[in-house]
Amino acid sequence: MSSGAIVADQLVKRFGSDVTAVNRVSFEVKTGEIFGFLGPNGAGKSTTVAMLTTLVLPSAGHAHVGGFDVVSQAAQVRRIAGVALQEIGLDPLMKSTELLTIQGQLFGMSRKEAQKRAFELLELVKLADVTKRPVGKYSGGMRRRLDLALALVHRPEILFLDEPTTGLDPASRRDVWAEVRRLNREYGMTIFLTTQYLEEADELADRIAIIDKGQIAVEGQPQELKAALGSESINVTFKDGESVELAKHALGDMFEKVQIDRKTLKLYRNGAAEVVPAVVNRLNTQALVPVALTLTQPTLDDVFLQVTGQSFQPDAKTAEVA
Amino acid sequence: MASITSTRRLPAQAEHHAPARMPFVQQVTMMTWRSLVTNFRVPGVILPPLIISAFFLLIYESTLGGASGFLPGLRGQSYLGFILPLSIVSAALSGAGVAGQSIVRDIENGYFDKLMLTPISRGALLLGPMVAGAVILVLQTTVVIMVALFMGLEPVTGLPGLLTVIGFALLLGTAFAGWTVGIALMSGNAAATQGASFLFFPLSFLTATFVPLDLLSGWIKVAATYNPITYILDAMRTTINIGWNAEIMAGGVAACLIMGLVLFAFAMHGLRVRTRRR
Repeated sequence: MSSGAIVADQLVKRFGSDVTAVNRVSFEVKTGEIFGFLGPNGAGKSTTVAMLTTLVLPSAGHAHVGGFDVVSQAAQVRRIAGVALQEIGLDPLMKSTELLTIQGQLFGMSRKEAQKRAFELLELVKLADVTKRPVGKYSGGMRRRLDLALALVHRPEILFLDEPTTGLDPASRRDVWAEVRRLNREYGMTIFLTTQYLEEADELADRIAIIDKGQIAVEGQPQELKAALGSESINVTFKDGESVELAKHALGDMFEKVQIDRKTLKLYRNGAAEVVPAVVNRLNTQALVPVALTLTQPTLDDVFLQVTGQSFQPDAKTAEVA
Repeated sequence: MASITSTRRLPAQAEHHAPARMPFVQQVTMMTWRSLVTNFRVPGVILPPLIISAFFLLIYESTLGGASGFLPGLRGQSYLGFILPLSIVSAALSGAGVAGQSIVRDIENGYFDKLMLTPISRGALLLGPMVAGAVILVLQTTVVIMVALFMGLEPVTGLPGLLTVIGFALLLGTAFAGWTVGIALMSGNAAATQGASFLFFPLSFLTATFVPLDLLSGWIKVAATYNPITYILDAMRTTINIGWNAEIMAGGVAACLIMGLVLFAFAMHGLRVRTRRR
């Protein structure tokens, strides 16, 4: 067996006979690593987390967390893994200290120890001054932070965070990022993080896997994946799809790779900046008028576009505003 | 990356690493306490059963109390003493919903799953809310009895008789809680759990509700004969109005136990369905 902190081997999860939520997913997360599991809504991220954290049984394949089998050694997995699910599971009638103390006691601490740990964690997630308020009166960001604290009560070696920043405002999101980095740096905690934000994976993860329609599309270090695209891109946006097609014909021979992303033509090559005047000239001679023209370094969005043939569009983008 | 270091845990962490598991009895006590605390934070759960049973008591006594002299089966017994057990049965049956509601709340807000990720015993998940429901039920029954005493109830068996009546309420309520808890676990749905409590109606009305069993006839007499509530009512009524009667008492206890065993098995089945990994 491999020595990785988390090893998934050909994991499959079927619901009923026609829905395959996760389809032969394999990856390995090394001890002490932050692993980003990236994909749009419904790609199979949460189902994978549910299997790894013993909540759901795989239909086929195997997985080990901390060396323990998620099917036959579920109790051991629960003891070394901390889990903050996407659906925050908090009783709104209870107070933060009560929730944390119960959690600690269930993991075998004495009441006193559990209370001490509760206050430690409330300091850590900056909720120490709202202990009198029932959790139901917390803001979304506060609830997330408390949920994170609950996942940390038993000092897990491996932490699963399922979309920890979905629905958070940018400031709360940065707080969570800082906390994730700190846990990883100071405690050497292995962190498995799912996200639908490319930026988040880029920012936090040592390595990422992109999952799309239940399958791993690509896996590697963010820099490595971007570098594999090898080139900068010129992005030319038009008013309509027809112009994009015409432009693709007109410019295709100048570039190593061309992709269409809705009304934008993405043109990849090394030293893209040098050919911007030539691009503009050719568009002029074809009477194609762009709405916008930008020059960018490769992003994870480009990686995603390349491996899946479609742009990465998190459905919950509107949730950022909420 | 710099974060991949050999210090997997700080020394302080290893030192504090949690021991095996919280003992079962302590788990149940803790989950009971937690359930009580949260239930008392939603008076909407606790007050309605209490108000309903006090209301029944007042209405039945004032509308039917005067007619009790014409009811040959009562043989001059107090109608208040006859009707109080019905009011207590209502309190017990509707109060039994508390346990189911607690569980369904946890399932709906996701806390149930959170608990499932800890080394909690599944039995404690079930017993915590049920024991808390029973404690609340005893409090409710006590209040209803105090209302009856205030209205002039004079139980022939005195305080021990009243304590016996509370004991029956506890048995019946806990037994019936198995039903609401089972439905809560299987459906995970508040409306379905609420709906399940409606079984309370046939149980408490297809029985010797307003008149003694002897005075019933036809299909309702058949229904009442097979309804375990009939025997529980009879045991409570006899204790309050007539005196200690071992045989009737045994009938009441047996009815509670049979109901309890069947419905507890149902709740256990619900627990298995809910906690089975799929």
